[in-house]
Amino acid sequence: MMKKIPYYFILFFLTLSCEDVIEVNLPSTESKLVVDALFRVDVAEEYVPVEVKTTVTTSFFEQSEPTQLSSAIIFYGIPLEDDPSLFEEVFSSSLAESEPGSGIYIPDPNFDGDQRISTSILEPGMVFQLIIEHEGKRYFATTTYVTVPPIDNIEQGTNTLFDEEDIEILVTFTDVPDIENYYIFDFDFNEFLALDDQFIDGQQFEFSYFYDKSLEPGDEVEISILGADQPFFNYMDLLLEQTEDTGGVFETPAATVRGNVFDITGLDNINIFDNVERPESFALGYFAVVQEFKQSITIE
Amino acid sequence: MPNIRSVLFLVLLLLSFFSFSQQRFTISGTITEASSNETLIGVTVAISELKTGTTTNEYGFYSISLPKGDYEVVVSYLGFKDISQKISLDANKKINFKLTEEAEQLAEVIVSEDVERLDIRKPQMSVNALKVQTIKKIPVVLGEADVIKSLLLLPGVTSAGEASSGFNVRGGAADQNLILLDEATIFNSSHLFGFFSVFNPDAIKDIKLFKGGIPSRYGGRVSSVLEIFQREGNSKETKFTGGIGAVASRLLIEGPIIKDRTAFLAGGRASYAHLFLPLFDVNNKAYFYDVNTKISHKINDNNSIYLSGYFGRDVFSINDNFVNVYGNAVGNFRWNHLFSDKLFSNLSLIYSDYFYGLELDFVGFEWDSGIQNFNLKYDLKHYLNDKLQINYGLNNIYYVFNPGKIIPNSPESGIVEDQLTKKYANEAAFYVDIEQKVTESLSVNYGLRVSHFNRLGQDELFVYQNNQPVVFDPFQLVYTEATPIDTINPGRGTNLSSFTNLEPRVSLAYTLNKRNSVKASYTRLAQYLHLLSNTSSPTPLDVWTPSGPFIEPQLLDQYALGYFRNINNGEYSLEVEGFYKDIENRIDYIDGADLIANDAIEQVILNGEARAYGLEFLLRKNEGRFQGWVAYTISKSEQRTPGRDPVVDNGRSNLESGINFGEWYNTPYDKTHDIALYGNYDLNNSWSFNSNFIFQTGQPTNFPVGQFEFEGLVVPFFGLRNQTRLPNYHRLDIAATFKPKKNKNRNFQSEWVFSVYNIYNRMNAASINFRQNQDTGRNEAIRTSIFGIVPSVTYNFKF
Repeated sequence: MMKKIPYYFILFFLTLSCEDVIEVNLPSTESKLVVDALFRVDVAEEYVPVEVKTTVTTSFFEQSEPTQLSSAIIFYGIPLEDDPSLFEEVFSSSLAESEPGSGIYIPDPNFDGDQRISTSILEPGMVFQLIIEHEGKRYFATTTYVTVPPIDNIEQGTNTLFDEEDIEILVTFTDVPDIENYYIFDFDFNEFLALDDQFIDGQQFEFSYFYDKSLEPGDEVEISILGADQPFFNYMDLLLEQTEDTGGVFETPAATVRGNVFDITGLDNINIFDNVERPESFALGYFAVVQEFKQSITIE
Repeated sequence: MPNIRSVLFLVLLLLSFFSFSQQRFTISGTITEASSNETLIGVTVAISELKTGTTTNEYGFYSISLPKGDYEVVVSYLGFKDISQKISLDANKKINFKLTEEAEQLAEVIVSEDVERLDIRKPQMSVNALKVQTIKKIPVVLGEADVIKSLLLLPGVTSAGEASSGFNVRGGAADQNLILLDEATIFNSSHLFGFFSVFNPDAIKDIKLFKGGIPSRYGGRVSSVLEIFQREGNSKETKFTGGIGAVASRLLIEGPIIKDRTAFLAGGRASYAHLFLPLFDVNNKAYFYDVNTKISHKINDNNSIYLSGYFGRDVFSINDNFVNVYGNAVGNFRWNHLFSDKLFSNLSLIYSDYFYGLELDFVGFEWDSGIQNFNLKYDLKHYLNDKLQINYGLNNIYYVFNPGKIIPNSPESGIVEDQLTKKYANEAAFYVDIEQKVTESLSVNYGLRVSHFNRLGQDELFVYQNNQPVVFDPFQLVYTEATPIDTINPGRGTNLSSFTNLEPRVSLAYTLNKRNSVKASYTRLAQYLHLLSNTSSPTPLDVWTPSGPFIEPQLLDQYALGYFRNINNGEYSLEVEGFYKDIENRIDYIDGADLIANDAIEQVILNGEARAYGLEFLLRKNEGRFQGWVAYTISKSEQRTPGRDPVVDNGRSNLESGINFGEWYNTPYDKTHDIALYGNYDLNNSWSFNSNFIFQTGQPTNFPVGQFEFEGLVVPFFGLRNQTRLPNYHRLDIAATFKPKKNKNRNFQSEWVFSVYNIYNRMNAASINFRQNQDTGRNEAIRTSIFGIVPSVTYNFKF
């Protein structure tokens, strides 16, 4: 939450300064695989919404293109206490493209047996592994299921921040005491907030969010709270910084946001290797399985 | 240990001078301005018969010892009438000179600017001095005369652009500049995020910027020293100085409390509230103010005391949702004492603090952070003879760092009150600095500073596995914060870590002939404080942190070599200097480091290194109706943070890739070409014209090499750091100063300054951002520029 402060300063500047769209020649690089695999689990539903979206990077001014995988499979289970690299019992889900050309992979409906993942089997600490093959390369990602407390309340506030048109939404939730928690809020319209509990441990906490998007009375917005472990929180935090960064004098050094999907082509044992000698061997994007609670509100 | 050997050499050299005997007498005294009794810094006292001389120090004192004999003493200073006095030196003499200003109407022949002018014989190199008179003439945005913006016209000094705090010297960062106001450290030199600097030009007497060859009396910052002296005040009559400008107005009152003995000075400056009001349609405030005060008292010929203070604040608020107050406060007491006519001393007790406060009502908290320091300094200047001066002294600074305290601002707030662990440190130093004329053509300054830094105990300190607060994930190739394995509570009396550094300094000047000289210098400096700033230029909420168990002090080695030439009897001067510098332990931050409100800053920091090199040219015209200069610098500034040495963990040694894969990358202050032109033309007694032009290679930055989508977010994707640049920065400013004819023969003096900033309305990019257009869904590059053409008028008066 403190991270946003430089952003307010920038807003000061923007009012003083002028902005225009200019032509810039950008450097280019080889395209990379992008994996968007955030499974938002609603425990009230029967199945985990498994959906892996794959694209390839393009130059900054072009639209991203979907891409096809040769195979995609998810393994999951509870790791053994004395050897976390092994599962007590291994489950799997084979994925297939939902519609040809879409680049969206879902549990294969034509496979022998049901490939869907039931929410009843989920428990905190369950590990998921995603293995995919793309253009002769094999990629691997691993993640741990994270739960989250529900949103206690959302309501519209009357305050404004910089502009009388600003819409304030007050969000209340209760932090889980005594452990480090990380939260991602999805405010709809691709607006997110990453929050940790450093200053609010165990508290019922109410905070304001002001929308960047201009909203009209009658618009319905859906707000979600998502669980996150520290790596996923760090990833989202950095990702948001890269997309929100207005640059200039308060610009932070740009960093390639490296997710948790790695190129493991040619490696026979995924548990012992490092990438120091092959820094370019990774795919963009992230694989995470997290609990989600949603609430909607109509703007007045 | 070469350093020990050099100490020994110094001692031997000193002994050889003390044994030197011949009947010598000393002339000493203070040089002041006749109309106000204000002491003058840098006045030349020349002994024509011996072709030798000296200059007054920071307190207007001079002393020179000469063999018995008859001499003619010539005292000269910019804008003042020379005094020439015959003396018969047969005993120690105390002579105080009072200089009278060269009357305005007599200025048919325009005097040359001695202070800024080149002294080719002195070993001091890499120094630029600016007179307040020059600073006031330089056209600036919105007409507010500005010390720091004026420095940018000098070779080797750049900044990140219009709205950026601080300045960069020879490829160094802004936190590597030591800024001293009456010897007190100023931690933040900017108002309104860099639009204006915190120094009121009316209250300032003299400024000096050391870019290299830094004398051993200074220490604690590796890049430069900017020394600013406030005026003492007029002890003859009460005077008012002021100005009304487009953004701020100022008024300064000075006068005697006891005539000729005690003077006071009080100056205030404030911007108009609601500076940005027209730009927002909500209730907001944005303003700054500062107050300069000083009382000086001359007890007798051998003792003077000074009490000075500075207080400045910036205030912002938007709808009471966001309230932000920050600024510096400085107070100091100084005592000048003459032990003898050859031994001058100054004792300073200084308190300085920087406060940053923030209230975010919509999140429900208040935030306070800052740094305080208590500084004791004792400096002696020993004028042994006309060929030898020894300066030595002690300095002790005690620091308290408050990285932040968060307080809920209402009972309903869900915020838990928390004080981030305060940090404490002590920095002590001792120095010797010798200025010696070895032969007629060789002068040497050499010295040694011994600095010792203690990081003192604090309430909580984390302990890490393998003593590594940052862990490297060899799988993901990212550095992440380590989880502490323990927390210890070292008492305040304990010493967490200590560092001692020997900092030798040498500079020498060899005069080839009357017109040409070469100079060389070597400087080693240690910096124990680090400004935690992950942005191209500092923000006001950046916090300072001391070196300690996980952060090493920055160590600089700088080498400079220069050629200096006076052309046409000093009408022109040329300075060419090359420098190379190397800094060990420049901190760098892991990707995504959160620096604000971080109670374990060691978890996001790695020690890297930096280097810079370049060549500076300065051609000045010092005399005539037209004066000015051309400055050009070509330079390179880079840093890198390689992976740490492998640690064997579980039988495996972990290789690390470092930040930016351990490659050298351009610092944000790497400006390949930096050109500055400044000219001043005095048309007649009423009108003078000024102009400056600046060109800087665009600042290194990152442009995306591609993009991808994740959960609907369009994310730019970057390659290695700082491989692209913003477009080149350049602009031309002009100003005209008009002094009404009726000023003549009256006490009330006034002038109008008309200026136009950025006259050809260049849209210099402060940044280029890449984002998705919300309407079209297409990605675009957006240029943000701060100031286009800005005309302004300022009215200055004095009575």
